[in-house]
Amino acid sequence: MPLPAYLMAAPDGVPWLTLLVLAPLAGVLLVGLAALLRLDDRLVKIGVTAWMLVPIGLALAVWAGFDARSTADGQGVIQFVERVPWVQAIRVDYFLGVDGLSLPLVLLTVVMAPIAALASFNVSTNARVHFALLLLLEAAMLGYFLALDFFFFFIFWEFSLVPAFFLIQVWGRENRRYAAFKFFIYTMAGSVGMLLLFQVFYLSTRFAGQPTFDLIAYGRLGQGLPVAGFQGDLQQILFAYIDHLGVADVLGRFPLLYTSIAFWAIFVAFAIKLAVWPFHTWLPDAYGEAPTSGSIMLSAVMSKMGAYGMLRILLPFTPQAAQYFAPVIGALALIGIVAGAFGALSYSNGDIKRLIGYTSINHMGYVMLAIAAAAALPGGATQESRTIAVNGAVMQMVAHGLSTGGLFLLAGALYERAKTYDLSQFGGLRVTMPTFAGVMGVAMFANLGLPGLAGFVGEFFIFRGAWATLPLFTLLATIGLVITALALLVMFQRIFLGPLNQRWKALPDLNPLEFWTMAPLLALLLALGLYPAPIMELANATASQMVSVFMNVLS
Amino acid sequence: MAFFLQYAWLIPVFPVISFAVITLTPIRRSKLVSGWLAIGLMMVATLFALGLAFGVAQGLHWRDGQLIQVEAAGAAHGEEEDAAHGEEGAAVHGEEEDAAHGEEGDAAHGAAIIDFPKANVIQRFAWAPTGDAVFEMGVYIDPLVAAVLVMVTITATCIHLFSLGYMATNPRQSRFFSFISLFAAAMLAMTMADNLLLFFMAWEVMGLCSYLLIGFLFERPQAYRASLKAFITTRIGDVLMLIGIVYLYTQAGSLAFGMREGEVFNPEFLARIGSEFNALGMSHATAIALLLFAGTIGKSAQFPLHVWLPDAMEGPTPVSALIHAATMVSAGVFLVGRMFPIFQADGGAALFWVSVVGAFTALFAASIAVAQFDIKRILAYSTLSQLGFMVAALGIGGWVAGMFHLLTHAFFKALLFLGSGSVIHAMEATPAIEKIHHKDEYAAQQTAQDIRNMGDLRRRLPWTFWTYTAGYLALAGIVPFAGFWSKDEILADASLHGHWVVYIVLSVAAFLTAFYMTRQWRAVFFGEYRGENPIEFVNPEAQAAHGHHDDHGHHDDHAHDSHAGHMNTGNHWHENAPMTAALVVLASFAVTGGFFNLPFPIPGGHWLSSLWGQEAAKFNVVVAGMSLLIAGVGIAAGWFYANAFKTAHDRDPLDARVPALFNVLNRKYMIDEIYAATVGNLTSALAVIWSWIDRQILDRIVNGTGIFTFFLSRMNFIVDDTVLNDGPDAVADGTVASGKAVRRSQTGKAQDYLEMLFAGVVVLALVFLYVFQ
Repeated sequence: MPLPAYLMAAPDGVPWLTLLVLAPLAGVLLVGLAALLRLDDRLVKIGVTAWMLVPIGLALAVWAGFDARSTADGQGVIQFVERVPWVQAIRVDYFLGVDGLSLPLVLLTVVMAPIAALASFNVSTNARVHFALLLLLEAAMLGYFLALDFFFFFIFWEFSLVPAFFLIQVWGRENRRYAAFKFFIYTMAGSVGMLLLFQVFYLSTRFAGQPTFDLIAYGRLGQGLPVAGFQGDLQQILFAYIDHLGVADVLGRFPLLYTSIAFWAIFVAFAIKLAVWPFHTWLPDAYGEAPTSGSIMLSAVMSKMGAYGMLRILLPFTPQAAQYFAPVIGALALIGIVAGAFGALSYSNGDIKRLIGYTSINHMGYVMLAIAAAAALPGGATQESRTIAVNGAVMQMVAHGLSTGGLFLLAGALYERAKTYDLSQFGGLRVTMPTFAGVMGVAMFANLGLPGLAGFVGEFFIFRGAWATLPLFTLLATIGLVITALALLVMFQRIFLGPLNQRWKALPDLNPLEFWTMAPLLALLLALGLYPAPIMELANATASQMVSVFMNVLS
Repeated sequence: MAFFLQYAWLIPVFPVISFAVITLTPIRRSKLVSGWLAIGLMMVATLFALGLAFGVAQGLHWRDGQLIQVEAAGAAHGEEEDAAHGEEGAAVHGEEEDAAHGEEGDAAHGAAIIDFPKANVIQRFAWAPTGDAVFEMGVYIDPLVAAVLVMVTITATCIHLFSLGYMATNPRQSRFFSFISLFAAAMLAMTMADNLLLFFMAWEVMGLCSYLLIGFLFERPQAYRASLKAFITTRIGDVLMLIGIVYLYTQAGSLAFGMREGEVFNPEFLARIGSEFNALGMSHATAIALLLFAGTIGKSAQFPLHVWLPDAMEGPTPVSALIHAATMVSAGVFLVGRMFPIFQADGGAALFWVSVVGAFTALFAASIAVAQFDIKRILAYSTLSQLGFMVAALGIGGWVAGMFHLLTHAFFKALLFLGSGSVIHAMEATPAIEKIHHKDEYAAQQTAQDIRNMGDLRRRLPWTFWTYTAGYLALAGIVPFAGFWSKDEILADASLHGHWVVYIVLSVAAFLTAFYMTRQWRAVFFGEYRGENPIEFVNPEAQAAHGHHDDHGHHDDHAHDSHAGHMNTGNHWHENAPMTAALVVLASFAVTGGFFNLPFPIPGGHWLSSLWGQEAAKFNVVVAGMSLLIAGVGIAAGWFYANAFKTAHDRDPLDARVPALFNVLNRKYMIDEIYAATVGNLTSALAVIWSWIDRQILDRIVNGTGIFTFFLSRMNFIVDDTVLNDGPDAVADGTVASGKAVRRSQTGKAQDYLEMLFAGVVVLALVFLYVFQ
């Protein structure tokens, strides 16, 4: 079928994105084959890690062929599109594509997966299963970022929980059952609303004459952009159907009301994943109890799935409600920023992984703030400010993934040495472990937003973008910057500074494997901190087009 | 010259190279190679900075690959305007600027906005896309920048050289060099930044280096606590500055320095933000300026964020000299100087607060310095006070005076710190201190820094004495040393423009400066040597520290400032060649620094003023005479005061007469205690509260929901089990029971089956007979 101008197939006709999603799955098959052949665990570990270079190569190929600046029909062009009718009865298409919002996260995913694999080299029980689950997780995440049909989007969304659940459940710490269960059920329960909502959307579009599950079409409808075969925007289509059902006669004839209901149904699903206050309490448990690889994948990539969902679905589908409720969302973001920072501080004499987990809540709060700011009422804010906010959010996601992943990796490495995560037990390790201290120091400073490292770039542009629409929240959010720094520095101090605790004088410094696992992360953090254009360039045009809808008063 | 202008951006790259090489390559295993690498590259950077300054002083400009000569720097903005901007297709802006400049022409002071000299070099590259626009980064060099670059590179080179001797026995000396190189790079990058974001980035990297270097002796609880305190305290100022930056960015649409449209010093833009008000009823300019000034308060340790700087003296002495005296702390002042048009844009409201904070800090810190005994802490409070002078100078509109004092102060304060380092270095090698060192290294160092334990060192350390004296006289403000000229210019500005309160406050501070410096100078270099029987520092951490010092082994090989090995050489007093060399270079600047801006109409007079394109300061005999008189009285008072130190255990005269006052001053007005009791406790309490909310409220809701769900499913199970299941179950049971009953009949014996068959036949026969018949 012919594609509209805003969709563009791969120029060479190669199904790059399908290959990208299938590559990790093929890896799972290879692990199964290795199990049949009774290959050594160590061989499997190396093999899986090496296999993970394949998705990196494919993602780089996509990156190389991606034109970040092309826009058409009021949106960034979705590229490398593959679209095949799948289940004709309910108009489901197999529909993959990549744009400026998803490509940075795809790149993040393929980079973090082998890091997580390298962090799991010391797993001894059921190592094959562990590595197969990592591959499965990678595939689900890639599929989620690439799928543009709700059916597949939702399948990948839910399916990503399964490997994560088992990683926590089987290889986690003492309290793993509670954590795994809470994580799984919480996310699953949160997305019920969204699932139901999409049934309503489907019926609405059927009522309008052309049923679809096409996320891009919905996004365009939501923003009032023309889509072949439809009249009016998504709010009108939804309202027409609601009215047809007779519900509007009962609840009132306010189109914004139904858009708002849709908004909140979507918001809750993604807010749980993003750990927006007050839906964040699963996060310290899950990150804290997961094995190192699980913590890395969860913190680095999975939390970004929530933010991506908001950018892909929440803002474009229901811009009227997003604009209306932006102050509320911004307030939740602010509370999350402060709560995350102080939560981290409250663990400054306790569990390392929970401390890092709380800083993630803080950092995802900035992303939430940026999304709220991009949507908030005009008030003189330029399109540039809104674009900067979204660019900042994308940058922050990538930077946070790299730095938090690194911190969890090092926390795991420390645990392997000392068999404890309790900060009150350490002290003075910098004497005997200078490289460890240096590497962790860089990851930590990147995490707390030191300029010159990637974390700062995201934070700066988020603050810049958010100031234009939500200045008060932005001002108060600086509390988070100070307190997170305090919490992380106290963590560093408790582990590495002071007189050497004689109990640990025999601990070895970072070994070459660990060092070279960290090296790419640190190099990326430094490179992006000094020159962020490669990532920010990707999102810029798409973000700029997306936020243009918020330049008007919508409701 | 063209070369130095074109490649000015290399200046910070040299120290970055030393940082990277020492950190990443095995070079770090050799202290000497690391040290000389850092020193060598720093010298190259100095050469570049000098070449650049020379070119700038000749009025050379580098634009788009072309060298442009302007007759006299700063004198002729108008003529080069078109040349400067013409090729960038902005001739219109050039004309506008000319008009703007023309209006301001003669009114350099008062409400008019400062007329910055034209940038000699601007080189930019695209850094990040921001919607339709692009954020550019680059270098921006004007005569002010060139002068500061020279100051930073020279002091940094001296301090690198000094460290070669001072840190020689430290096993982590290579790391030290890598950190101070990174620091120097950041300072240079900040100075050359062409926009406020790059400025802030370099500013924060300096904060990082400060953190790393204050905590360089990280085994000591005092050191890591001080480093944490420094980082967090300055970060409080920094985040407010960050808000100021985003505020300015939002208003201006860019952060680039310059006067063209869209740049932050554009006259129309300044007029707009000066006259538009925000929701708080403040003009945008005032709000932005005060937020930016919060950064200055943190970085330049102005009241109320000054608490970190005295504690920062826990770092090795070269660090105190480089970061906490000469360069980083003056970055805050430089920020105000750089952003001066923004501060002026609101007609004086922001600058009023700047002058209040500066003048207050100048006096406040000077008064604390009077009652301190630690040689480095006296200098630290002196630094606070002098930074207050600079800030106050800027606050009253004395831009040249403030920047001039920044330059001269950097030289003589670095000199004084390094001199104190030389003194401490020598003191630590004395037998009395060595003895303490074996018990507690930290207490030994603190004891070695106590001026009560010194005395008569002028004979023992002659080089140190003479160079220190030069720095001391410069700081006290004695003609013709550097500090006299710059301080006098500040006071002259204050009196000339009628800022009498500032003038009086600064004069009192100047008196105290002369007083406490003489007190220290005499106690250290004159009288009897009192170190045989020192007053020993009691280390409150001794218990904790000794808990881990079971084996003395690591204790000896980890970092400290001290030097074992000189003990048995008979004459333990010695001065080290590289250290002395550094002192001499700095001393020469402390003597001559003032001549760069002599307030007389002679050849070479007003040199900096005219280089910076500003109106020359007028020499005021009365003001100069007054400050000399004040300094003289302060010196005399200090000299007699310090007479009281006969043995190490003598009480301070003020302590003997007014112990309450002395105590308050000695304990720094209890500011630390007040902060710990308020902000510190509040922070801890909030952490507890938030985690309580998470665990006791939110988690209970989540778990409650989970338990409720389990409860529902249990109910569901019960309902299923009793009502729904029992019906079908009964059916099933009946089936099973009948099945069992039937099975019982399946015995497998042929007789039984025949019996049943027979019975069946009988039943059928009976049915047939009775029913159908």
